Amino acid sequence: MLAAMQEALIAGKKAEVESLVDGALAGGVAAARILDEGLIPGMERLGEQFKRNEVFIPEVLVAARAMQAGLAKLEPHLAKAGVKPRGIVVIGTVKGDLHDIGKNLVAMMLRGNGFKIVDLGVDVAPEKYLDAARASGAGAIALSALLTTTMVQMKNVVEAVKKAGLAVPVVVGGAPVTRDYADRIGADGFAPDAASAVEEIGRIIAAR
Amino acid sequence: MTSRELVVDTLEFRGPARVPRQLWTLPWAEMTWPAELAALRARFPDDIVSSPAFLREPPRTEGEEYEPGVFVDEWGCRFENAQRGIIGQVKEPRLRDWSGLDGLRVPRERLTVDLAEVDGFCAASGAFVLAKTGARPFELLQSLRGPENLYVDLAERPKGLFRLIDAVHAFFREEMELWASTEVDALVFADDWGGQTGLLVAPGLWRELFKPLYREYVEIAHRNGKYAFMHSDGHIAAILPDLVEIGLDALNAQIFCMDVAEIGRRFAGKLTFWGEVDRQRLLPSGTPAEVAAAVGEVHRALWRGGGAIAQCEFGPGARPENVAAVFEAWEALTRPAM
Repeated sequence: MLAAMQEALIAGKKAEVESLVDGALAGGVAAARILDEGLIPGMERLGEQFKRNEVFIPEVLVAARAMQAGLAKLEPHLAKAGVKPRGIVVIGTVKGDLHDIGKNLVAMMLRGNGFKIVDLGVDVAPEKYLDAARASGAGAIALSALLTTTMVQMKNVVEAVKKAGLAVPVVVGGAPVTRDYADRIGADGFAPDAASAVEEIGRIIAAR
Repeated sequence: MTSRELVVDTLEFRGPARVPRQLWTLPWAEMTWPAELAALRARFPDDIVSSPAFLREPPRTEGEEYEPGVFVDEWGCRFENAQRGIIGQVKEPRLRDWSGLDGLRVPRERLTVDLAEVDGFCAASGAFVLAKTGARPFELLQSLRGPENLYVDLAERPKGLFRLIDAVHAFFREEMELWASTEVDALVFADDWGGQTGLLVAPGLWRELFKPLYREYVEIAHRNGKYAFMHSDGHIAAILPDLVEIGLDALNAQIFCMDVAEIGRRFAGKLTFWGEVDRQRLLPSGTPAEVAAAVGEVHRALWRGGGAIAQCEFGPGARPENVAAVFEAWEALTRPAM
């Protein structure tokens, strides 16, 4: 049943995922096991396919939606069992930049991989990231930018985090952003695509 | 030799006297570097120009497209913008659901072109003239539906999607036919199909739903003795063979997102590359020497007695000395020896 759940998730079959989650819960399978052995591995496989250009944004979006539907079924059970998310990530597009497709894609894939997301939206000032990270107890801050003129704002966020003495790693990504730029501004992580962002953030949070 | 002849010789691989030039600018460049931009234009005049729209009726828009705030375009899509000099993002899709599809108003003002004015412009210009056609079906679908809704539509294929594609395409086809009846040299269409590392949608989906639209635009151009020019941002290597196959004449693509040498091996001599030079990294943060080296790479890969145009975009973040380096390097590489 969990294998079938993975396949349904990758195919973006929302109703089928819901039905399989219901069936698994009714059959006495623990919610945490459904998440860890059914839904999350499905999203991980999808992420790998996305990195290899075997699936594309439409397929990822419908799979993420199916994942959300499955998660909604599981959440009350996970809360009751005291299951915690893999980490909390504050995410947003930097100040002056209104582009959000990339940021939304990363947020959806993080959710689908068991992270709790605090999505600040677009045009986010540095202090807002800090406030949200403090309030949520975030394990990472993720910054997105599409424009060469706005990616410079990433440096301001990195500096603000350091100045505030906040021990929260900052991960950056977006079309013009490179590993070299991330290193130059002192970011803790960089991802060239949404699937890599999930891996990078997972690695950084696990290492803390 | 006129600019027009230079461009035609380039498109036909007939060894033009030098590479033709075209500088693209966004309002950001006009606002940030006005004197430098004027000097660039004087030093490197464009061989390719766009005809003014010459509309008898102005399109119905609200607000300023390149200013902070809200801009409503001629299709009724509401853009929000945070920066002067660049275009905003659609935050309120015109068709959040399909109930508004029957009432979708197409901007027929775009079809009130004064054809005699266009012909007069072409006759007076020694340059290669591009039509002011605005065909961009994928981008418009995203604006009308909202990007995420549209991507889900492409996965789920609701009937409304096909009706919307038909409506948009019918309008663009009509606009293409109208401009093809003038004296312009080329029809233009555009859509950004690439992310940084690959296509945004599956190549099969693109071939099924969108390639036929572009094929028709190319056919309209060629049937009327015009060239077909396309712009598409991002990593689009997967569909380059298709664009060659439908007969596209010139493509403006971010070749530096892809493998320039590999593009040259596969497509040099089959298609003219209408620029460009890496505007994400080199033009904003490279040096003139690095820019010149990049132009050299493009020349080696793509120039076959034609097949490349010295085009670059002076957009957000770009340095004027790097833009100048693009044209200096091209001129040095393609000017005949004295």
